[in-house]
Amino acid sequence: MSEPTRPTIPAARAPSLVSGGEPHHASVTPVGGVAEVHEQQPLVGQDLRTEELVFNMGPQHPATHGVLRVVIKSDGEFVQGLQPHIGNLHRCCEKIGESVPYYQWIPYVDRMDYLAAMCNEHIACMAVEKAAGIEVPERAEYCRVIVAEVQRILSHLFAMGVYGLDLGAFTPFLHQFREREKGLDLLDHISGGRLLYHYVRIGGVKRDFTQEWLDELEAFLAAVEQRLPEYNTLLLSNHIFQQRTAGVGVIDRSACVRWGVTGPALRAAGVDFDVRRDAPYGVYDRFEFAVPHGHSGIAGVVGDCFQRHWVRTQEVEQSLRIVRQALKQMPQGPVMGKVPKSLKPVAGEVYVRGENPRGELAVYMVTQGEDKAWRARCRGPSFSNIAVITETAKGTLLADLVAAIGSLDIVLGEVDR
Amino acid sequence: MSTTPSPAGTPAPAALVDPVTERAHALLAARLPGVVVAQELAGRHPWIRVTAAGLRDALRLLRDDPTTQLECCHLISGVDWPARKPGETAELEVVYHLVSYALPYDAAYKARRGPQAKNDPWVAIKVRVPREAPEVPSVMDLFTGADWHERETYDLLGVRFTGRGFVPRILLPEDWPGYPLRKDWETPTDYHGIPIVPPEGL
Amino acid sequence: MATLDGPAEGLDPELQQSIILTKVDWVKDWGRRNALWPMAFGLACCAMEMMATAATKYDLDRFGAGVFRASPRQSDLMIVAGTVTHKMAPRVKRLYDQMPDPKYVIAMGACVVGGGPYVKHGYHVVQGVDLVVPVDVYLPGCPPRPEALIDAIRKLQLRILQRGGATLPARRQATVA
Repeated sequence: MSEPTRPTIPAARAPSLVSGGEPHHASVTPVGGVAEVHEQQPLVGQDLRTEELVFNMGPQHPATHGVLRVVIKSDGEFVQGLQPHIGNLHRCCEKIGESVPYYQWIPYVDRMDYLAAMCNEHIACMAVEKAAGIEVPERAEYCRVIVAEVQRILSHLFAMGVYGLDLGAFTPFLHQFREREKGLDLLDHISGGRLLYHYVRIGGVKRDFTQEWLDELEAFLAAVEQRLPEYNTLLLSNHIFQQRTAGVGVIDRSACVRWGVTGPALRAAGVDFDVRRDAPYGVYDRFEFAVPHGHSGIAGVVGDCFQRHWVRTQEVEQSLRIVRQALKQMPQGPVMGKVPKSLKPVAGEVYVRGENPRGELAVYMVTQGEDKAWRARCRGPSFSNIAVITETAKGTLLADLVAAIGSLDIVLGEVDR
Repeated sequence: MSTTPSPAGTPAPAALVDPVTERAHALLAARLPGVVVAQELAGRHPWIRVTAAGLRDALRLLRDDPTTQLECCHLISGVDWPARKPGETAELEVVYHLVSYALPYDAAYKARRGPQAKNDPWVAIKVRVPREAPEVPSVMDLFTGADWHERETYDLLGVRFTGRGFVPRILLPEDWPGYPLRKDWETPTDYHGIPIVPPEGL
Repeated sequence: MATLDGPAEGLDPELQQSIILTKVDWVKDWGRRNALWPMAFGLACCAMEMMATAATKYDLDRFGAGVFRASPRQSDLMIVAGTVTHKMAPRVKRLYDQMPDPKYVIAMGACVVGGGPYVKHGYHVVQGVDLVVPVDVYLPGCPPRPEALIDAIRKLQLRILQRGGATLPARRQATVA
């Protein structure tokens, strides 16, 4: 794809020239002769005196992906500073982890990143299993990988569609819901829920796959594979999309690592890291898949919105690969391990991290020999991902801020927990 | 999942010392004597406990040294440890999980599988402070992302991070009473007129 | 074609087919229930199901309620989809107050119906959005299926048909500062 050009901003609109009271030299059209210009300059300076405006974006806003409130200090269209205010969806997930038994806590973990519920459950169950020394049967591990990757496909499809919606394109949003509905029905048939499942349980998964479900899964994979070029053409090859996202919202490697940004945003910044490949959990070390990361060969700048979007489209393809490999390798066997009726792990702690569609979800669990955790600390990847705009969105246009927030693909459930 | 499973709940054998934590510990012991208070280098969650005074130097060293390069503060957690026996002091613990994206992962990690081993290269640094004066120096200037994690630890547990000015709450409203994740926190009956008491029967 | 107030006697048969005799209120309510403009007020997980309802498979637009407005000033239906927390409650109330009359509220999801899964240990969750705004239709589910949301909107339309389209008075005292 060719390098898109960004329209250059004329000097008159650049923020450094427009400030209180100073005469405006650069592009004032002279009225009458030169003498009149010199006489009129102070007046012109007076008319063009501006103030910084402090205003609110959210918590009810079509483009904030949930109840995010961003207080923006802006000079016209240019953002001078911003501060995200979170906590509007704080649902006490960590306190509940200390108040109810482990198996009752798992459904609450679903609701943190509600677009990747299977992945959340996977990580949380892994933490409990590690703390209690429970062994998960191999077939259950493969089941977990398959539903986690299907969930990743659905989550990325949603992210891609909604990003188009943020930028003003309504069609990709409706198109991705087509495949998403097929996928939601698929997960509904195996778990009973469309969005929040409680399918991955401590010790394994709830139900085994039937042949009927596997056929449905094959049909879903084929449908996604067939439509993926269409989605890519709608957005990635779109001239307007490229102009709005290429070079916009650049979050480079240094900013990512300092702020703890993980997931597609980190990979788009050029870091070749994926927990599934580099610190594998479950049976992820048995699959071959590529880790797409930003580089200069594609449109845009490394770490910009375009490359974050591009990384997501590539990850959908890789997830399809993983699911197909898992289906071939899956052994027969039970899907639930031996879990004691009253689960009381000995005193200790675990730290488990996994690759969610939005980044690295981590659970730090401290156990004290009771049936509840002593401390169930969850790290939602969007918590750090949204914090980074405090630094990187300064000096951008307001519309570019919307593009940047959309490309980070945050879910407020895991920001606020 | 191919190694023999150990019985549920038993700690890992001593052979499974984690090389990354061992390297970090050796570095701290050599360059910052007196900072490390305790450590656990084997098992499923190895950790190094440092003094609150030496925390910043320790984290800076672990971040900048080329053998560890722990440049990302992945998570900061607070844990409440109330006094259970008569002689103990009630303490709050802050746990920093540091991660490196620069170092390549060695094959030994991938070879060591099993539910009781730590096979993911991160390092956990702990600090314990008394509950009456829970002051921990802030590492916001070392790891920018620590800002929000520290705000959350203050918000939910009341750990005061010094050296960074005013620490606003982040998740709860500004006038929320108390620190909910403390073990002795009582749920208020209402907040600005909206009741919080659960209905009867539950 | 309906004549609600009795047959139009003495009218030409051709005119009978093209004139409707009814009350102004009935016409207003007919407009209100068949053209509900929801406010895009998704808070949490239920918002995803609300978006799915508005999308192609379940298509809320065929019931007249597909025009999601971003601003409360332009909407008459607030579908509170998701969990209302104590931090968010004053903003919910303010948004409700900003909506012009007549306005309706559907409480979508277990969290806003009565606190949902967070009712016992969730200290920051408001146990039901009817503590904050008056609710017309309660829709339980976690999250409710899109068909259930369509049913809720149909029930609201039925209520407007049967009991008029006025805003519901607050039944529980809205005690938000």
